[in-house]
Amino acid sequence: MSEATTNIATERHNPELTIGISAEYLAGKRFDYQEDINASADVDLMESTPGQDINWLEDIELLQEDGVPAVFDRYSNSFIKIYFEIPKGQENEVARKVLLKHLQSGNSYGIKLKEAHAKFPQPELGPWVKNSRIVGTDWKPSVLPGWESPQGH
Amino acid sequence: MDALTGESQIVYDARGLVEPNAEVPKVSSIDGTKAEFDANDLTTRQINLELRWLINEQGITDVTVKNPGAKHSLGVGILTRCKITFEGSLGYFGCGVIDGPEVHIKGRVGWSSCENMMSGTVVVEGNAGSLTGAAMRGGDLIIKGRLGARTGIDQKGGTILTMGSVGANTGFMMQRGRQVICGDAGHGLGDSMYDGIIYVGGKVRSLGIDCVPGEWTDADTEFIDRKFRIYELGTPPAFQKFVCGKKLYNYDSLEASERKLVL
Repeated sequence: MSEATTNIATERHNPELTIGISAEYLAGKRFDYQEDINASADVDLMESTPGQDINWLEDIELLQEDGVPAVFDRYSNSFIKIYFEIPKGQENEVARKVLLKHLQSGNSYGIKLKEAHAKFPQPELGPWVKNSRIVGTDWKPSVLPGWESPQGH
Repeated sequence: MDALTGESQIVYDARGLVEPNAEVPKVSSIDGTKAEFDANDLTTRQINLELRWLINEQGITDVTVKNPGAKHSLGVGILTRCKITFEGSLGYFGCGVIDGPEVHIKGRVGWSSCENMMSGTVVVEGNAGSLTGAAMRGGDLIIKGRLGARTGIDQKGGTILTMGSVGANTGFMMQRGRQVICGDAGHGLGDSMYDGIIYVGGKVRSLGIDCVPGEWTDADTEFIDRKFRIYELGTPPAFQKFVCGKKLYNYDSLEASERKLVL
């Protein structure tokens, strides 16, 4: 078992060991675009955002989490750690591309929750993907098996 | 039938929380990927249902809403790329929680427009009320008129640009993002801000706690010139730049879990 896999498994079984929550912790695995700069090189930042500049991505910068370069995914309140070497001067561009790849691939935990919990119709993959499937057209409150309302309610 | 404008014309459920009629009106005239409807006789809920039906279920990418009548909470929760034009004014909480649309409002907007906006662009031809862009996280919000108090309170990203003046406590507890104010700013500008940049073209009545003048850089010039060019706003005035003095709070003093709240 690789060191990275061990760390993820340890975090998952001992949540108190970690203060932050990373994307790989939520997914239970690491994604190729976290380890290979070429995996997100094809992302078109302008095409993927509204308006005539990069719009909301202007606020996305390369940060650090647990001493590792990372970009924050606001849709799942988690950091996507980046394990490859980032060329100098391209820090923010790389961070933005990794984030968009994560969102467009549907790997953000917030996107995964939409299928079951979206209460009104909306594109599954958000505004970053054209013609994304619509979810939330038939929302029903989830029911916990065996749960009954308390007496008097 | 009287036009459904004003709260007295809207009927709510027994708890006063929701309009009971949840049926999509389907009154739009559709031409390819464009659609248009008259909101005069529709309730807030019906207008929003019609918008979502068109955008999410009919493949429409360009919607024009006629006679919005300054009703509250119009155009909220639009979570995809599209164009929406409101041919009139919006009431409170217009275009809140949006992620992706490019909105053009040809009138004014009331309190708290574009609250929690995630991405996209909103251009308002007239004035906007207080709390515009509250807790905004991303995108561009362009107000061609004036703005009320507490503009961009708790702003966490994105750009708020006004061609006019702003009221008191603008940028209160601002955490990220940028504000461009071509006119004057009221008392307490940038009070308790954590981060972000505020540009002011006019006079500042007073700075809030920990809001201090910042050093102008080439990046500031590039940013201002780009936004004025994109939105065809003419030649930008000379701006003063204000930033957080980082004496009160700043990211470095926050716990990791707290830091996420402002990202």
